[in-house]
Amino acid sequence: MNARVAHPLSLLAEITYRCNLQCAYCYNPLDLSSYRDEMRTDEWLRVIGEAAALGIVQIHFSGGEPTLRADDLVAMVAAARVHGLYSNLITQGTFLSDALLDRLVESGLDHAQISVQSADAGAGDLIAGATVHAAKFDALARAAARGDLAVTLNCVLHRANIDDAEGIIALAERLGIRRLELANAQMYGWAHRNRATVLASREQVARTDALVARAQERLRGKLDIVYVRADYYDAFPKPCMNGWGRQFMTVAPNGRALPCPAAAAISSLRFENVREGTLEEIWYRSAAFSAYRGTAWMTEPCRSCERRDVDFGGCRCQAFLLAGDAALTDPACSLSPHRDLVDAIIDHAGISTRVSVARNARNEPPA
Amino acid sequence: MKPIDPSSVPRLLPGVRLRTLAGGETMLLVPEGAVKLSATSAAVVESIDGKRDIAGIVARMNERFDAAGADLAADVSSLLEEFAQRVWIGFDS
Repeated sequence: MNARVAHPLSLLAEITYRCNLQCAYCYNPLDLSSYRDEMRTDEWLRVIGEAAALGIVQIHFSGGEPTLRADDLVAMVAAARVHGLYSNLITQGTFLSDALLDRLVESGLDHAQISVQSADAGAGDLIAGATVHAAKFDALARAAARGDLAVTLNCVLHRANIDDAEGIIALAERLGIRRLELANAQMYGWAHRNRATVLASREQVARTDALVARAQERLRGKLDIVYVRADYYDAFPKPCMNGWGRQFMTVAPNGRALPCPAAAAISSLRFENVREGTLEEIWYRSAAFSAYRGTAWMTEPCRSCERRDVDFGGCRCQAFLLAGDAALTDPACSLSPHRDLVDAIIDHAGISTRVSVARNARNEPPA
Repeated sequence: MKPIDPSSVPRLLPGVRLRTLAGGETMLLVPEGAVKLSATSAAVVESIDGKRDIAGIVARMNERFDAAGADLAADVSSLLEEFAQRVWIGFDS
């Protein structure tokens, strides 16, 4: 074991990529059908035990839509509690009946993050590509009212809904929710494929940045608003995952272990599978987790940059997706020699005549 | 937000709990996050039981820590203020 490498703190367990929604901004990989060989519950329970032994303190059950495996999910939440892990459920809420909520809370679920696509049911259904918002709003209200579960309302902001960020804030206030995540869509997976229609304009983002800052001030102590910035419009990149292989592990539905949920797109790396190795081996010894850990892998301008320990060079997936090499400076950085690639996407967004490609297995690009 | 009164009774809100790790380190686990706590901060959070008021927490801290010269009351207030801003604790008075 490498003594200098700290243990991970957080595991994102993507238990299925199946979903009844078809959001164009989804960050899941494009080759959804490659993940049909989902890990069985007993395999997940083993991984949860390994995570706790490795020092992980938080687990996030996500997907796809994790409640499509409701019975399995309840068993996994119970195992997380037995091992002392804090459990988060990341759901879009369509299937969140009171009976399921009861079972999850009884099993030890600590927190549920429930997403909506809009404060307006009609607009939300259009964005989700499914008639689901009546059920989602109902689930959100029931979860928020019960008082024995922490609830976060999540809304991914993009070109089609960002102008109603105020409506989302009002929804959270109306329901007495204590935590709101407003996340500008990050350009991975389906969002990257649909970037011409998903990416909000510079003006939209600037307006929303200011609006959210005012709401954070106004609601301090009542509603904690977590705002995820639109990195394409910032001068410096996000500290993606707080550094590669530093705190976070993701396990995809088929057992593939990833340093971040979008990393499977980096085709130059070979990712190991928890079906063939333990989390501990993968964290400390796999080539993929070591590849961009620390700062030694960096190229210029990161290598000599005073911000290299602040933002860790930004996002490896973005460097690979846009510039073709995961070891380059994130092209979202204003110091990157590839910043023009991001500017071109910004200039093109919204003037394209393309329509979004719905996120579903039928729309997978050919392999 | 109204200022914190010594007679207010803080309580941890749902989804907020302490966890002591194998190495003895204490963390506050919150929705989608974990905060490392110093020994004194951990003691403040341990004192939050939904019954003890802030004055009582300060008194308990004074018993537990040799705080000669330190302004424990101010430290407790500022920690609770910070947690209240993140909506991790609420107050009954």
